[in-house]
Amino acid sequence: MAGLELLSDQGYRVDGRRAGELRKIQARMGVFAQADGSAYIEQGNTKALAVVYGPHEIRGSRARALPDRALVNCQYSSATFSTGERKRRPHGDRKSCEMGLQLRQTFEAAILTQLHPRSQIDIYVQVLQADGGTYAACVNAATLAVLDAGIPMRDFVCACSAGFVDSTALADLSHVEEAAGGPQLALALLPASGQIALLEMDARLHEDHLEQVLEAAARAARDVHTLLDRVVRQHVREASILLGD
Amino acid sequence: MAPPVRYCVPGERLCNLEEGSPGSGTYTRHGYIFSSLAGCLTKSSENGALPVISVMRETESQLLPDVGAIVTCKVSSINSQVFLSDLEPSLNNPVLFLQVEIYKSFRPGDIVLAKVISLGDAQSNYLLTTAENELGVVVAHSESGVQMVPISWCEMQCPKTHTKEFRKVARVQPEFLQT
Repeated sequence: MAGLELLSDQGYRVDGRRAGELRKIQARMGVFAQADGSAYIEQGNTKALAVVYGPHEIRGSRARALPDRALVNCQYSSATFSTGERKRRPHGDRKSCEMGLQLRQTFEAAILTQLHPRSQIDIYVQVLQADGGTYAACVNAATLAVLDAGIPMRDFVCACSAGFVDSTALADLSHVEEAAGGPQLALALLPASGQIALLEMDARLHEDHLEQVLEAAARAARDVHTLLDRVVRQHVREASILLGD
Repeated sequence: MAPPVRYCVPGERLCNLEEGSPGSGTYTRHGYIFSSLAGCLTKSSENGALPVISVMRETESQLLPDVGAIVTCKVSSINSQVFLSDLEPSLNNPVLFLQVEIYKSFRPGDIVLAKVISLGDAQSNYLLTTAENELGVVVAHSESGVQMVPISWCEMQCPKTHTKEFRKVARVQPEFLQT
């Protein structure tokens, strides 16, 4: 597309950020009183809401119960007003199912499911405004919601997207950068151990560049972790003050 | 002056396995104790043994019952040896084994206090028992649909028709009796 340069000569992106810079992140925990855990996150203009119920008994067919660990059930949904054009998305369409499956794989790696055999943990994520990096925002919101629900986790799960333009890796892509068509990578990381919960890319990228892009995404995910850590500590401190400790 | 409260988040390394033993809200990896919840760190100082390190949340969420927990359940169906019941919405379906005549102890629709003796395995559900004085039927309705009043450990009476029905009645705790 002529005229749209994703990275200027001085190293500035379309929205004025540097290559490895994250968008502004604001997050809140405990937004719903009736759910076991809930959280809301804004990454730039991407807004996601996550709600967690559980652990509770298996709903529906009891045959799905796992004898030694909990079942993690994730559902992703995107609001009709979340994109530039209003688009009705039926429940159970391919993108929602795929996103739900990815979220499930991510959280099965982090939640200590052995502590709650034959039970179910429900994670519902809704994207209210999609401006790029929706998977990352969903994972970050869901992490906070799971923490809010008191479900034991191995570590935070922090996610970020990354791309590759002009031999430079960009972190935390916005919608404009994603739509430009370059390679995009989504990474979900467990920061304390450095383990990768999920790595997803379905574009073509030369393997020589993979390490650079992966490193940029990992660094950005660690920055997200610093921020979420601060949010959680603040929330725990406020909660204990309210309860009069 | 209370010692400063230390808050921790999941993934935070708390200490070595030589300095403490893992309690609730923690897990161990590579010889270190990590936190698995977001809450306050508590150390219980034992005499002689290692202190137990655990992470407590202020609001303990209602989780699934453990062995030895007293649960409230509603009888949904009975067969000659066992009966199936629905627990409160947050609990699983249990199966109860009794040696005595079932029909003289429980009827469908009764609310029963029971104790969990086993969490069951892959095929079965929870195993409960009512073999104690404080366990058994708490609320029951007579055949005419009126809530019955307990008159002994094995009988309840309907206040409207004055008919007696057999139930295995739970003994009321003294603090709940109004005299």
